[in-house]
Amino acid sequence: MPPPSIDVPSGPHSVEAFVRGYENDRLLRGFRCPKCGTLTATWGLACSRCGTAPLEEATLNGRGTIVAGTIVQVASDEFVNDAPYAYVLVELEGGGRLSGWIPQVRDAAEIAPGTPVRFAPSYKPGVQFERVLPSSTTASER
Amino acid sequence: MREVWVVGAASNRYGKLAETAREAATRVAAEAIRDAGLEPKQIGHTFVANCFGLTEHQAHVGPLINNGLGIPEVPSVTLESACSSSSAALHEAFVHVAGGFADAALVVGAERLGHLDTMSATGYFAYAADYPFETKNGATFPGLYATLADAYRHAYRTTPEMFGAIAVKNHANAARNPHAHFQKEISMQTYLDSPMIASPLRLYDCCPFSDGAAAMVVAAPDAFPRPANEPLVVRASVRTGAVTALQDRSDLLGLPSTQRAGKEAFRRAGLEPRRIDFLEVHDCFTIAEALALEDLGFFPRGSAARESLEGTTARDGRLPVNPSGGLKAKGHPVSATGAGQVVEVFEQVNGRAPGREVPRTGTALTHNVGATGGSCTVHIFSRR
Repeated sequence: MPPPSIDVPSGPHSVEAFVRGYENDRLLRGFRCPKCGTLTATWGLACSRCGTAPLEEATLNGRGTIVAGTIVQVASDEFVNDAPYAYVLVELEGGGRLSGWIPQVRDAAEIAPGTPVRFAPSYKPGVQFERVLPSSTTASER
Repeated sequence: MREVWVVGAASNRYGKLAETAREAATRVAAEAIRDAGLEPKQIGHTFVANCFGLTEHQAHVGPLINNGLGIPEVPSVTLESACSSSSAALHEAFVHVAGGFADAALVVGAERLGHLDTMSATGYFAYAADYPFETKNGATFPGLYATLADAYRHAYRTTPEMFGAIAVKNHANAARNPHAHFQKEISMQTYLDSPMIASPLRLYDCCPFSDGAAAMVVAAPDAFPRPANEPLVVRASVRTGAVTALQDRSDLLGLPSTQRAGKEAFRRAGLEPRRIDFLEVHDCFTIAEALALEDLGFFPRGSAARESLEGTTARDGRLPVNPSGGLKAKGHPVSATGAGQVVEVFEQVNGRAPGREVPRTGTALTHNVGATGGSCTVHIFSRR
Protein backbone atom coordinates (compact mmCIF):
# COMPACT_ATOMS: atom_id res chain seq x y z
CA MET A 1 0.00 0.00 0.00
CA PRO A 2 1.41 3.41 -0.94
CA PRO A 3 2.05 5.84 1.90
CA PRO A 4 -0.65 8.50 2.42
CA SER A 5 -0.02 11.55 0.26
CA ILE A 6 -0.89 14.00 3.03
CA ASP A 7 0.29 14.01 6.59
CA VAL A 8 -2.69 13.42 8.86
CA PRO A 9 -1.73 14.64 12.32
CA SER A 10 -3.07 13.12 15.50
CA GLY A 11 -4.21 15.42 18.31
CA PRO A 12 -2.14 15.24 21.49
CA HIS A 13 -5.28 14.97 23.62
CA SER A 14 -9.02 14.60 23.18
CA VAL A 15 -11.88 16.90 24.20
CA GLU A 16 -12.70 14.32 26.87
CA ALA A 17 -9.13 14.56 28.20
CA PHE A 18 -9.47 18.37 28.39
CA VAL A 19 -12.68 18.02 30.43
CA ARG A 20 -11.20 15.30 32.69
CA GLY A 21 -8.10 17.49 33.11
CA TYR A 22 -9.92 20.43 34.68
CA GLU A 23 -12.52 18.32 36.48
CA ASN A 24 -10.22 15.73 38.09
CA ASP A 25 -6.58 16.70 37.67
CA ARG A 26 -6.75 20.48 38.31
CA LEU A 27 -5.03 20.83 34.99
CA LEU A 28 -5.86 23.07 32.01
CA ARG A 29 -4.75 21.15 28.95
CA GLY A 30 -4.13 23.06 25.76
CA PHE A 31 -2.27 23.14 22.48
CA ARG A 32 0.72 25.16 21.32
CA CYS A 33 1.42 25.90 17.66
CA PRO A 34 5.08 25.01 16.99
CA LYS A 35 5.26 27.68 14.27
CA CYS A 36 3.41 30.81 15.44
CA GLY A 37 3.29 29.99 19.16
CA THR A 38 -0.49 30.37 19.49
CA LEU A 39 -1.80 28.79 22.68
CA THR A 40 -5.39 27.59 22.92
CA ALA A 41 -7.58 25.20 24.83
CA THR A 42 -9.89 24.66 21.86
CA TRP A 43 -9.54 21.19 20.36
CA GLY A 44 -8.20 20.83 16.84
CA LEU A 45 -5.61 19.10 14.68
CA ALA A 46 -4.09 22.29 13.27
CA CYS A 47 -3.51 25.87 14.38
CA SER A 48 -6.60 28.01 13.78
CA ARG A 49 -4.34 31.03 13.18
CA CYS A 50 -1.68 29.72 10.75
CA GLY A 51 -2.79 26.19 9.81
CA THR A 52 0.33 24.46 11.13
CA ALA A 53 -0.01 20.82 12.20
CA PRO A 54 0.57 18.89 14.32
CA LEU A 55 0.11 20.92 17.48
CA GLU A 56 2.13 20.36 20.63
CA GLU A 57 0.77 19.45 24.02
CA ALA A 58 0.69 22.41 26.42
CA THR A 59 -0.46 23.22 29.91
CA LEU A 60 -2.26 26.53 30.24
CA ASN A 61 -1.57 28.79 33.19
CA GLY A 62 -4.58 29.03 35.50
CA ARG A 63 -3.95 32.69 36.34
CA GLY A 64 -4.98 35.58 34.20
CA THR A 65 -7.03 38.74 33.79
CA ILE A 66 -10.54 39.33 32.46
CA VAL A 67 -10.72 40.63 28.87
CA ALA A 68 -14.51 40.96 28.69
CA GLY A 69 -17.51 39.38 30.34
CA THR A 70 -21.15 39.46 31.30
CA ILE A 71 -23.48 38.71 34.18
CA VAL A 72 -25.84 36.03 32.86
CA GLN A 73 -29.33 36.47 34.32
CA VAL A 74 -31.20 34.12 32.00
CA ALA A 75 -29.37 30.80 31.89
CA SER A 76 -29.75 27.68 29.80
CA ASP A 77 -30.99 24.48 31.44
CA GLU A 78 -27.46 23.38 32.43
CA PHE A 79 -26.86 26.53 34.52
CA VAL A 80 -30.39 27.38 35.55
CA ASN A 81 -29.74 26.89 39.26
CA ASP A 82 -26.58 29.02 39.14
CA ALA A 83 -27.96 32.26 37.66
CA PRO A 84 -27.00 35.00 38.02
CA TYR A 85 -23.36 34.19 37.41
CA ALA A 86 -20.46 35.73 35.48
CA TYR A 87 -19.26 34.43 32.10
CA VAL A 88 -15.81 35.77 31.27
CA LEU A 89 -13.03 35.61 28.69
CA VAL A 90 -9.67 35.41 30.42
CA GLU A 91 -6.23 36.33 29.06
CA LEU A 92 -3.96 33.77 30.72
CA GLU A 93 -0.50 34.54 32.04
CA GLY A 94 1.97 33.01 29.61
CA GLY A 95 -0.47 33.20 26.71
CA GLY A 96 -3.79 31.90 25.45
CA ARG A 97 -7.34 32.82 26.34
CA LEU A 98 -9.98 30.67 27.98
CA SER A 99 -13.68 31.14 28.70
CA GLY A 100 -15.14 30.24 32.04
CA TRP A 101 -17.75 31.11 34.62
CA ILE A 102 -17.62 32.60 38.10
CA PRO A 103 -20.43 31.67 40.50
CA GLN A 104 -22.24 34.17 42.67
CA VAL A 105 -21.06 37.33 40.96
CA ARG A 106 -24.02 39.67 40.43
CA ASP A 107 -22.44 43.02 39.60
CA ALA A 108 -20.74 43.75 36.26
CA ALA A 109 -18.33 46.11 38.08
CA GLU A 110 -16.78 43.02 39.72
CA ILE A 111 -15.69 41.64 36.34
CA ALA A 112 -14.29 44.81 34.76
CA PRO A 113 -11.54 44.29 32.15
CA GLY A 114 -8.19 43.72 33.87
CA THR A 115 -9.66 42.01 36.93
CA PRO A 116 -7.27 39.23 38.07
CA VAL A 117 -8.76 35.73 38.23
CA ARG A 118 -7.54 32.18 38.63
CA PHE A 119 -8.77 28.74 37.63
CA ALA A 120 -10.85 27.30 40.49
CA PRO A 121 -11.30 23.52 40.36
CA SER A 122 -14.88 22.65 41.26
CA TYR A 123 -17.36 19.79 41.26
CA LYS A 124 -19.63 21.90 39.01
CA PRO A 125 -19.43 21.51 35.21
CA GLY A 126 -17.40 23.82 33.02
CA VAL A 127 -14.17 25.74 33.51
CA GLN A 128 -14.62 27.81 36.62
CA PHE A 129 -12.65 30.88 37.68
CA GLU A 130 -12.54 32.87 40.90
CA ARG A 131 -11.59 36.48 41.35
CA VAL A 132 -8.23 37.05 43.02
CA LEU A 133 -8.94 39.56 45.75
CA PRO A 134 -6.04 41.43 47.32
CA SER A 135 -5.22 40.29 50.88
CA SER A 136 -7.98 37.72 51.12
CA THR A 137 -7.84 33.96 51.22
CA THR A 138 -9.89 32.24 48.56
CA ALA A 139 -11.81 29.01 48.82
CA SER A 140 -9.19 26.89 47.07
CA GLU A 141 -6.44 28.06 49.46
CA ARG A 142 -8.24 27.49 52.73
CA MET B 1 -21.55 32.17 -14.87
CA ARG B 2 -25.18 33.03 -15.63
CA GLU B 3 -26.97 36.05 -14.16
CA VAL B 4 -29.37 35.05 -11.37
CA TRP B 5 -32.54 36.83 -10.31
CA VAL B 6 -34.85 36.54 -7.32
CA VAL B 7 -38.24 36.38 -9.07
CA GLY B 8 -40.74 35.62 -6.30
CA ALA B 9 -40.84 35.77 -2.51
CA ALA B 10 -43.16 35.10 0.41
CA SER B 11 -43.19 35.07 4.20
CA ASN B 12 -45.65 34.28 6.93
CA ARG B 13 -46.06 36.38 10.04
CA TYR B 14 -43.28 35.65 12.51
CA GLY B 15 -44.31 34.86 16.05
CA LYS B 16 -45.77 31.72 17.49
CA LEU B 17 -46.79 29.21 14.84
CA ALA B 18 -49.79 26.97 15.33
CA GLU B 19 -48.38 24.62 12.68
CA THR B 20 -45.15 22.66 12.27
CA ALA B 21 -42.12 24.10 10.46
CA ARG B 22 -42.84 21.58 7.69
CA GLU B 23 -46.34 22.91 7.13
CA ALA B 24 -45.26 26.57 7.33
CA ALA B 25 -42.35 25.96 4.95
CA THR B 26 -44.56 24.22 2.40
CA ARG B 27 -47.16 27.00 2.56
CA VAL B 28 -44.70 29.90 2.03
CA ALA B 29 -42.87 27.90 -0.65
CA ALA B 30 -46.14 27.47 -2.58
CA GLU B 31 -46.80 31.21 -2.22
CA ALA B 32 -43.30 32.14 -3.42
CA ILE B 33 -43.63 29.90 -6.49
CA ARG B 34 -47.06 31.37 -7.27
CA ASP B 35 -45.66 34.87 -6.71
CA ALA B 36 -42.94 34.12 -9.27
CA GLY B 37 -45.60 33.14 -11.80
CA LEU B 38 -44.18 29.63 -12.03
CA GLU B 39 -45.50 26.10 -11.54
CA PRO B 40 -43.88 23.88 -8.88
CA LYS B 41 -42.72 21.47 -11.59
CA GLN B 42 -40.51 24.24 -13.03
CA ILE B 43 -38.36 24.13 -9.86
CA GLY B 44 -35.12 22.26 -10.54
CA HIS B 45 -33.78 22.01 -6.98
CA THR B 46 -35.04 22.87 -3.51
CA PHE B 47 -32.74 24.24 -0.79
CA VAL B 48 -34.28 24.03 2.68
CA ALA B 49 -32.93 25.60 5.86
CA ASN B 50 -34.00 24.12 9.18
CA CYS B 51 -31.83 23.90 12.32
CA PHE B 52 -34.08 22.68 15.06
CA GLY B 53 -36.31 20.16 13.27
CA LEU B 54 -35.13 17.51 15.69
CA THR B 55 -37.06 19.29 18.47
CA GLU B 56 -40.13 18.54 16.31
CA HIS B 57 -38.93 14.94 15.79
CA GLN B 58 -38.30 15.71 12.12
CA ALA B 59 -35.05 15.53 10.18
CA HIS B 60 -34.72 15.43 6.37
CA VAL B 61 -37.65 17.80 5.91
CA GLY B 62 -36.68 18.78 2.33
CA PRO B 63 -38.35 15.86 0.56
CA LEU B 64 -41.48 16.29 2.72
CA ILE B 65 -41.79 19.90 1.52
CA ASN B 66 -41.36 18.84 -2.09
CA ASN B 67 -43.93 16.04 -1.57
CA GLY B 68 -46.33 18.64 -0.20
CA LEU B 69 -45.76 20.85 -3.25
CA GLY B 70 -46.52 17.94 -5.57
CA ILE B 71 -42.95 17.63 -6.84
CA PRO B 72 -41.53 14.63 -4.93
CA GLU B 73 -39.08 13.84 -7.73
CA VAL B 74 -37.29 17.23 -7.40
CA PRO B 75 -34.02 16.95 -5.46
CA SER B 76 -33.71 18.77 -2.15
CA VAL B 77 -31.11 19.30 0.51
CA THR B 78 -31.78 20.42 4.07
CA LEU B 79 -28.92 22.48 5.40
CA GLU B 80 -27.88 24.07 8.66
CA SER B 81 -25.66 27.08 9.28
CA ALA B 82 -27.16 28.25 12.58
CA CYS B 83 -28.79 31.69 12.20
CA SER B 84 -27.39 32.05 8.66
CA SER B 85 -29.01 28.83 7.38
CA SER B 86 -31.39 30.26 4.80
CA SER B 87 -28.89 32.78 3.40
CA ALA B 88 -26.57 29.79 3.02
CA ALA B 89 -29.44 28.03 1.21
CA LEU B 90 -29.79 31.06 -1.09
CA HIS B 91 -26.07 30.95 -1.79
CA GLU B 92 -26.32 27.27 -2.77
CA ALA B 93 -29.32 28.01 -4.99
CA PHE B 94 -27.37 30.88 -6.58
CA VAL B 95 -24.41 28.57 -7.24
CA HIS B 96 -26.69 25.95 -8.85
CA VAL B 97 -28.51 28.42 -11.10
CA ALA B 98 -25.43 30.49 -11.96
CA GLY B 99 -23.53 27.30 -12.77
CA GLY B 100 -26.26 25.97 -15.03
CA PHE B 101 -27.27 23.02 -12.84
CA ALA B 102 -30.83 24.35 -12.50
CA ASP B 103 -32.84 27.05 -14.29
CA ALA B 104 -34.97 27.80 -11.24
CA ALA B 105 -34.46 26.87 -7.59
CA LEU B 106 -36.59 27.17 -4.47
CA VAL B 107 -35.11 28.52 -1.23
CA VAL B 108 -37.15 28.05 1.91
CA GLY B 109 -36.25 28.50 5.55
CA ALA B 110 -38.48 27.58 8.47
CA GLU B 111 -38.10 27.27 12.21
CA ARG B 112 -40.32 26.43 15.12
CA LEU B 113 -39.16 26.95 18.70
CA GLY B 114 -42.40 28.16 20.25
CA HIS B 115 -43.20 24.69 21.61
CA LEU B 116 -40.11 24.96 23.86
CA ASP B 117 -39.89 26.96 27.10
CA THR B 118 -37.37 29.84 27.37
CA MET B 119 -34.86 27.68 29.26
CA SER B 120 -34.76 24.90 26.65
CA ALA B 121 -34.79 27.39 23.76
CA THR B 122 -31.84 29.21 25.40
CA GLY B 123 -30.10 25.85 25.62
CA TYR B 124 -30.73 24.96 21.97
CA PHE B 125 -29.48 28.37 20.80
CA ALA B 126 -26.29 27.92 22.85
CA TYR B 127 -25.54 24.65 21.05
CA ALA B 128 -24.60 26.76 18.00
CA ALA B 129 -21.54 27.97 19.96
CA ASP B 130 -18.54 25.69 20.66
CA TYR B 131 -20.16 23.29 23.14
CA PRO B 132 -17.17 22.05 25.22
CA PHE B 133 -15.21 25.32 25.03
CA GLU B 134 -17.98 27.94 25.34
CA THR B 135 -21.44 26.57 26.16
CA LYS B 136 -20.27 24.13 28.82
CA ASN B 137 -18.30 26.96 30.46
CA GLY B 138 -21.48 28.99 30.95
CA ALA B 139 -22.01 30.74 27.62
CA THR B 140 -25.50 31.49 26.42
CA PHE B 141 -26.19 33.08 23.04
CA PRO B 142 -27.03 36.45 24.65
CA GLY B 143 -24.02 35.94 26.94
CA LEU B 144 -21.62 35.69 24.00
CA TYR B 145 -22.95 38.84 22.30
CA ALA B 146 -22.99 40.51 25.73
CA THR B 147 -19.27 39.75 25.96
CA LEU B 148 -18.76 41.50 22.61
CA ALA B 149 -20.92 44.41 23.83
CA ASP B 150 -18.84 44.60 27.02
CA ALA B 151 -15.63 44.87 24.98
CA TYR B 152 -17.26 47.51 22.73
CA ARG B 153 -18.57 49.71 25.53
CA HIS B 154 -15.22 49.72 27.31
CA ALA B 155 -13.30 50.47 24.09
CA TYR B 156 -15.56 53.29 22.86
CA ARG B 157 -17.20 54.53 26.09
CA THR B 158 -20.70 54.19 24.68
CA THR B 159 -23.92 54.93 26.57
CA PRO B 160 -26.93 52.60 26.92
CA GLU B 161 -28.97 55.15 24.93
CA MET B 162 -26.85 54.50 21.82
CA PHE B 163 -27.93 50.85 21.81
CA GLY B 164 -31.42 51.81 22.91
CA ALA B 165 -31.69 53.91 19.74
CA ILE B 166 -31.14 50.78 17.64
CA ALA B 167 -33.91 48.93 19.51
CA VAL B 168 -36.34 51.88 19.34
CA LYS B 169 -35.68 52.33 15.59
CA ASN B 170 -36.15 48.64 14.76
CA HIS B 171 -39.35 48.41 16.80
CA ALA B 172 -40.69 51.49 14.96
CA ASN B 173 -40.00 49.76 11.63
CA ALA B 174 -41.51 46.44 12.73
CA ALA B 175 -44.67 48.24 13.85
CA ARG B 176 -45.29 48.88 10.13
CA ASN B 177 -44.47 45.34 8.96
CA PRO B 178 -47.32 42.80 8.80
CA HIS B 179 -44.73 39.96 8.88
CA ALA B 180 -43.22 41.15 12.17
CA HIS B 181 -43.36 39.31 15.49
CA PHE B 182 -43.49 42.59 17.48
CA GLN B 183 -45.74 45.14 15.79
CA LYS B 184 -45.39 47.79 18.45
CA GLU B 185 -43.15 50.76 19.03
CA ILE B 186 -41.16 51.11 22.25
CA SER B 187 -39.86 54.25 23.95
CA MET B 188 -36.30 54.86 25.10
CA GLN B 189 -37.58 54.72 28.67
CA THR B 190 -39.16 51.30 28.08
CA TYR B 191 -35.80 50.14 26.72
CA LEU B 192 -33.85 51.54 29.68
CA ASP B 193 -36.31 50.09 32.22
CA SER B 194 -36.23 46.58 30.74
CA PRO B 195 -34.49 43.89 32.81
CA MET B 196 -30.94 42.69 32.19
CA ILE B 197 -30.66 39.38 30.32
CA ALA B 198 -26.85 39.30 30.18
CA SER B 199 -25.17 42.60 31.09
CA PRO B 200 -24.95 45.02 29.32
CA LEU B 201 -27.77 43.52 27.21
CA ARG B 202 -31.27 44.34 28.41
CA LEU B 203 -34.40 42.51 27.33
CA TYR B 204 -34.96 45.04 24.52
CA ASP B 205 -31.42 44.57 23.20
CA CYS B 206 -32.34 40.97 22.37
CA CYS B 207 -34.25 39.43 19.50
CA PRO B 208 -37.16 37.19 20.46
CA PHE B 209 -37.43 33.44 19.97
CA SER B 210 -39.71 33.43 16.92
CA ASP B 211 -41.32 30.81 14.75
CA GLY B 212 -41.57 31.64 11.09
CA ALA B 213 -41.03 30.72 7.47
CA ALA B 214 -39.80 32.61 4.41
CA ALA B 215 -39.16 31.53 0.84
CA MET B 216 -38.04 32.77 -2.54
CA VAL B 217 -37.55 31.52 -6.07
CA VAL B 218 -34.31 32.26 -7.89
CA ALA B 219 -34.09 31.82 -11.64
CA ALA B 220 -31.86 32.43 -14.61
CA PRO B 221 -33.20 35.22 -16.84
CA ASP B 222 -32.03 33.38 -19.95
CA ALA B 223 -34.49 30.58 -19.07
CA PHE B 224 -37.24 32.80 -17.61
CA PRO B 225 -36.89 36.17 -19.37
CA ARG B 226 -40.31 37.60 -18.43
CA PRO B 227 -40.59 37.74 -14.62
CA ALA B 228 -43.95 38.34 -12.96
CA ASN B 229 -42.40 40.90 -10.58
CA GLU B 230 -39.58 43.41 -10.62
CA PRO B 231 -36.72 40.96 -10.04
CA LEU B 232 -33.72 41.38 -7.75
CA VAL B 233 -30.50 40.94 -9.68
CA VAL B 234 -28.04 39.03 -7.49
CA ARG B 235 -24.90 41.14 -7.85
CA ALA B 236 -22.93 39.19 -5.21
CA SER B 237 -23.49 36.08 -3.12
CA VAL B 238 -20.66 35.52 -0.66
CA ARG B 239 -20.13 33.08 2.21
CA THR B 240 -17.27 33.23 4.71
CA GLY B 241 -16.12 31.39 7.81
CA ALA B 242 -14.05 32.32 10.85
CA VAL B 243 -12.78 30.98 14.16
CA THR B 244 -15.86 30.19 16.24
CA ALA B 245 -14.86 30.50 19.90
CA LEU B 246 -14.58 34.15 20.98
CA GLN B 247 -11.56 33.38 23.16
CA ASP B 248 -9.63 32.30 20.07
CA ARG B 249 -10.12 35.66 18.30
CA SER B 250 -7.62 38.46 18.85
CA ASP B 251 -10.19 41.18 18.04
CA LEU B 252 -13.53 41.36 19.87
CA LEU B 253 -14.53 44.69 18.27
CA GLY B 254 -15.84 43.15 15.07
CA LEU B 255 -16.68 39.87 13.34
CA PRO B 256 -13.90 38.83 10.94
CA SER B 257 -16.31 36.75 8.84
CA THR B 258 -18.47 39.84 8.22
CA GLN B 259 -15.44 41.97 7.36
CA ARG B 260 -14.28 39.51 4.72
CA ALA B 261 -17.75 38.77 3.34
CA GLY B 262 -18.48 42.49 2.94
CA LYS B 263 -15.20 43.24 1.23
CA GLU B 264 -15.58 40.33 -1.19
CA ALA B 265 -19.24 41.13 -1.93
CA PHE B 266 -18.45 44.75 -2.81
CA ARG B 267 -15.58 43.57 -5.00
CA ARG B 268 -17.77 41.10 -6.90
CA ALA B 269 -20.62 43.60 -7.27
CA GLY B 270 -18.21 46.32 -8.37
CA LEU B 271 -19.79 48.70 -5.86
CA GLU B 272 -18.74 50.70 -2.84
CA PRO B 273 -20.71 50.92 0.41
CA ARG B 274 -21.89 54.47 -0.40
CA ARG B 275 -23.76 53.09 -3.44
CA ILE B 276 -26.04 50.90 -1.27
CA ASP B 277 -29.51 52.40 -0.78
CA PHE B 278 -30.68 50.30 2.18
CA LEU B 279 -29.63 47.32 4.28
CA GLU B 280 -31.01 44.37 6.17
CA VAL B 281 -28.29 43.38 8.67
CA HIS B 282 -28.04 40.69 11.32
CA ASP B 283 -29.18 42.38 14.55
CA CYS B 284 -29.84 39.40 16.82
CA PHE B 285 -28.76 41.88 19.52
CA THR B 286 -28.38 45.65 19.19
CA ILE B 287 -24.58 45.32 19.45
CA ALA B 288 -24.70 43.04 16.39
CA GLU B 289 -26.23 45.82 14.25
CA ALA B 290 -23.50 48.26 15.34
CA LEU B 291 -20.74 45.72 14.62
CA ALA B 292 -22.26 44.80 11.24
CA LEU B 293 -22.39 48.42 10.04
CA GLU B 294 -18.76 48.94 11.01
CA ASP B 295 -17.51 45.59 9.71
CA LEU B 296 -19.25 46.13 6.35
CA GLY B 297 -17.54 49.51 6.00
CA PHE B 298 -20.56 51.83 6.34
CA PHE B 299 -19.25 53.59 9.46
CA PRO B 300 -15.82 53.92 11.11
CA ARG B 301 -15.18 51.63 14.07
CA GLY B 302 -16.82 52.70 17.29
CA SER B 303 -19.27 55.11 15.61
CA ALA B 304 -22.25 53.03 14.44
CA ALA B 305 -24.11 53.08 17.77
CA ARG B 306 -23.68 56.87 17.92
CA GLU B 307 -24.99 57.21 14.33
CA SER B 308 -28.14 55.31 15.33
CA LEU B 309 -28.79 57.79 18.13
CA GLU B 310 -28.48 60.59 15.56
CA GLY B 311 -31.07 58.99 13.25
CA THR B 312 -28.71 58.18 10.36
CA THR B 313 -30.04 54.61 10.11
CA ALA B 314 -33.75 55.42 10.45
CA ARG B 315 -36.10 54.54 7.60
CA ASP B 316 -35.94 58.15 6.35
CA GLY B 317 -32.30 58.65 7.34
CA ARG B 318 -29.21 58.80 5.13
CA LEU B 319 -28.76 55.00 5.31
CA PRO B 320 -31.94 53.05 6.20
CA VAL B 321 -30.99 49.92 8.16
CA ASN B 322 -33.44 47.10 8.86
CA PRO B 323 -36.63 48.70 7.52
CA SER B 324 -38.29 45.32 8.22
CA GLY B 325 -37.65 45.74 11.95
CA GLY B 326 -34.69 43.36 11.81
CA LEU B 327 -34.16 40.25 13.87
CA LYS B 328 -34.59 42.51 16.88
CA ALA B 329 -38.28 43.30 16.30
CA LYS B 330 -39.44 41.56 13.12
CA GLY B 331 -38.20 38.43 14.87
CA HIS B 332 -35.59 35.72 14.51
CA PRO B 333 -36.98 32.35 13.39
CA VAL B 334 -33.38 31.11 13.05
CA SER B 335 -33.54 29.26 9.74
CA ALA B 336 -36.08 31.63 8.15
CA THR B 337 -34.21 34.80 9.04
CA GLY B 338 -31.82 35.11 6.08
CA ALA B 339 -34.54 34.37 3.51
CA GLY B 340 -36.81 36.82 5.33
CA GLN B 341 -34.25 39.60 4.87
CA VAL B 342 -34.43 39.05 1.10
CA VAL B 343 -38.24 39.00 1.26
CA GLU B 344 -38.01 42.52 2.73
CA VAL B 345 -35.73 43.70 -0.10
CA PHE B 346 -38.10 42.12 -2.66
CA GLU B 347 -41.14 43.80 -1.10
CA GLN B 348 -39.41 47.19 -0.92
CA VAL B 349 -38.37 46.98 -4.58
CA ASN B 350 -41.84 45.84 -5.67
CA GLY B 351 -43.73 48.51 -3.75
CA ARG B 352 -45.19 45.99 -1.34
CA ALA B 353 -43.98 47.65 1.87
CA PRO B 354 -46.66 50.29 2.43
CA GLY B 355 -46.00 52.48 5.47
CA ARG B 356 -42.37 51.46 5.76
CA GLU B 357 -40.98 52.40 2.33
CA VAL B 358 -37.36 53.43 2.12
CA PRO B 359 -36.60 56.46 -0.12
CA ARG B 360 -34.39 54.67 -2.65
CA THR B 361 -34.49 51.01 -3.73
CA GLY B 362 -31.89 50.78 -6.49
CA THR B 363 -29.44 48.64 -4.53
CA ALA B 364 -29.64 46.71 -1.27
CA LEU B 365 -27.40 44.55 0.88
CA THR B 366 -28.40 41.68 3.17
CA HIS B 367 -26.09 40.39 5.91
CA ASN B 368 -26.73 37.23 7.89
CA VAL B 369 -24.47 35.75 10.60
CA GLY B 370 -24.23 32.17 11.86
CA ALA B 371 -24.09 32.29 15.69
CA THR B 372 -21.26 34.63 16.73
CA GLY B 373 -19.69 34.75 13.29
CA GLY B 374 -18.39 31.25 12.60
CA SER B 375 -20.35 31.70 9.37
CA CYS B 376 -21.47 34.77 7.46
CA THR B 377 -23.40 35.51 4.26
CA VAL B 378 -23.59 38.80 2.37
CA HIS B 379 -25.77 39.35 -0.69
CA ILE B 380 -25.92 42.50 -2.80
CA PHE B 381 -28.94 43.08 -5.03
CA SER B 382 -29.84 45.69 -7.59
CA ARG B 383 -32.69 46.45 -9.96
CA ARG B 384 -32.40 45.37 -13.58
